[in-house]
Amino acid sequence: MSTEKKNSQFRGASRYVLDDELAEIVNVSMALEMPLLLKGEPGTGKTMLAHAIAESLQMPLIILNVKSSMKLIEALYQYDTLTRLNDSRFGDSKRDVSNIEAYIKMGKIGQAFTADKRTILLIDEIDKADTDFQDDMLDVLDQMQFDIIEIDKTVRAKHRPVIVITSNAKKDLSDPFLGRCNFHHIAFPDPDMMRLIVDVHFPNLDEELVDVTIGTFYHLRELRGIEKKPATRELINWIRALKSDPDFKPKMLKQGRVPFLGILFKKSADLYHAAQQVTKARG
Amino acid sequence: MFVDFFYTLRDRGIPVTPTSFLRLQKAMNMGLVHSLDEFYTAARAILVKSERYFDTYDQIFAHHFHGASFEDPTAVELTEIARSLLDEWLKNPEEMADALGIDKETLENMTPEELIQYFLDRLKEQTEAHHGGNKWIGTGGTSPTGHSGIHPGGMRVGGESRNHSAIKVAMERRYRDYSQEGPLTQFQMGEAMKRLRRMAPTGPRDIVNIDKTVYETMRNAGEIEIIFDRRLADRLKVILLIDNGGWSMDPYIDVVQTLFHYASSQFKDLKIYFFHNTIYSRVWSDPQRQFKPEQVDDFIRRDPETRLIIVGDASMAPYELMHPNGAIYIDAKPSGTSIERLRFLAKTFRHCVWLNPMHPREWEYTRTTEIIRQIFPMFELTLDGLEKAVQYLTSTKK
Repeated sequence: MSTEKKNSQFRGASRYVLDDELAEIVNVSMALEMPLLLKGEPGTGKTMLAHAIAESLQMPLIILNVKSSMKLIEALYQYDTLTRLNDSRFGDSKRDVSNIEAYIKMGKIGQAFTADKRTILLIDEIDKADTDFQDDMLDVLDQMQFDIIEIDKTVRAKHRPVIVITSNAKKDLSDPFLGRCNFHHIAFPDPDMMRLIVDVHFPNLDEELVDVTIGTFYHLRELRGIEKKPATRELINWIRALKSDPDFKPKMLKQGRVPFLGILFKKSADLYHAAQQVTKARG
Repeated sequence: MFVDFFYTLRDRGIPVTPTSFLRLQKAMNMGLVHSLDEFYTAARAILVKSERYFDTYDQIFAHHFHGASFEDPTAVELTEIARSLLDEWLKNPEEMADALGIDKETLENMTPEELIQYFLDRLKEQTEAHHGGNKWIGTGGTSPTGHSGIHPGGMRVGGESRNHSAIKVAMERRYRDYSQEGPLTQFQMGEAMKRLRRMAPTGPRDIVNIDKTVYETMRNAGEIEIIFDRRLADRLKVILLIDNGGWSMDPYIDVVQTLFHYASSQFKDLKIYFFHNTIYSRVWSDPQRQFKPEQVDDFIRRDPETRLIIVGDASMAPYELMHPNGAIYIDAKPSGTSIERLRFLAKTFRHCVWLNPMHPREWEYTRTTEIIRQIFPMFELTLDGLEKAVQYLTSTKK
């Protein structure tokens, strides 16, 4: 393995706790030059992973936030007809109206292809788009090129970007799509892992506080009838809130008094259920 | 390499493609896989494309590289035994080396490649003679690799090494909950039920149809002519009948509740009624089954295209179903047999299913379940069953 290759291995980042399994998968995907598809509960750090890779390998990160109505072309490039019409009528810009290329703007995928160095391309929440979008996009990513019809030009990727795709699994992804990706499902972290994650975010947190918050958090996740369970993101915010509250003592949690439930439970029905069960447990 | 493994995955219903298998070979040729642990991870990422199959993958992996038998009624117990055995052995490399038939030093000095090779050799042996549990660990080659990153240039791993070898990890069956047989989450339910939707244009015409607008504008010699369409909305009607009475449904409260929450937030035109055990002349729209009764006979006035979903364990005393005065409540008036009511419902709504939270294995032991199955197509209340039920509900042929 050359030194250069070694440097391009992913080892985690300052704000992201990586488990060895995932690290391995990231490295394999990068070596095979395959997109990595990540699924998992909301708030398990799917998006954060791309940020972490970018930070660790010092590559620029380009994020394509997929929207339900998105057409593939928007992700590739945009032909700005309106500006061109405007320029042609008023003629006060420096652009050459007869040169269509001056009005082509690169979309996120286009930017990743034309960038001067290797980039990380994060395609966030792919499941929002329809299947056609997904399949067409994979063709583009497979061949690492696309055509700009208006000027009859083919854009080829200068450097093959590292592609990370996330999905919340609102829709099933199509088979051809899955066939071209490596897949990983990020499971919800276990309490030990969660400690590490909390440590990364709050390096000097009181040991006792960490214990009780994580204990309480996992207990709250087990409550019955909860629709949207609190995830890592909620825990981090919750701890932040607890820290900033001067009246809060870790003892309170042990006694079954849980402040700021609203940070953990985002749906009113959940909040109600949780509040009820917490009070009941206290007796 | 690992062709057997590949075919086992296929046979057990994981959709693995030859392309992905070749890709795995490529990864191994590139020197990306140094140990069994890494093989476990890499093979899963490359071959298996849904977390629903992770559990099956784990089982096959453990079986293939270990001899753990799957689908054994005592599989859970055996897994426990194996796990404790493994723990013991990891503490005691000598014993392990002994069992593997090599001395401890050799074992510790083996490179990962050698280990894999050794492992493969054992594997061949194993396909010839596999005697259930006694070779569990023998083939494991659980390896010095489990203890710390043996491959150079490895990763920064969060915290202490977990000391989990791939097989151990596989045996933990961490993904059981994601497997198709696992308990349902609302999320998965959504995935399955969304296919029930029937989109139809409705409401005011307030969406611009661009294609038509362009066409009509051209026809109009360039004078702009804007064409509006109605937007699409879900027009599906659903009636959900839930058995919420008695202890027999108690174990399933969670899953039924999930279904209930999902249905009430997703379907626009949804009616939910409750009953206990089986249906007589009335069902109730309040869960206490006291205040808001509804005559079942009135259901005939509903749209026959309505999807009728009944949730219940279908187990009760046979007379409740067959006897004209079968109702177990005192205030229930004699109202004909319940089975007639059920037949009536099945006839009124051609798209109907019965979702049973009990395991299909138990169905045949309850006589009433058997009888009701003849009236309604019955599906298990799991992701798998739900998908089949939705398929049935959406198919037009009845």
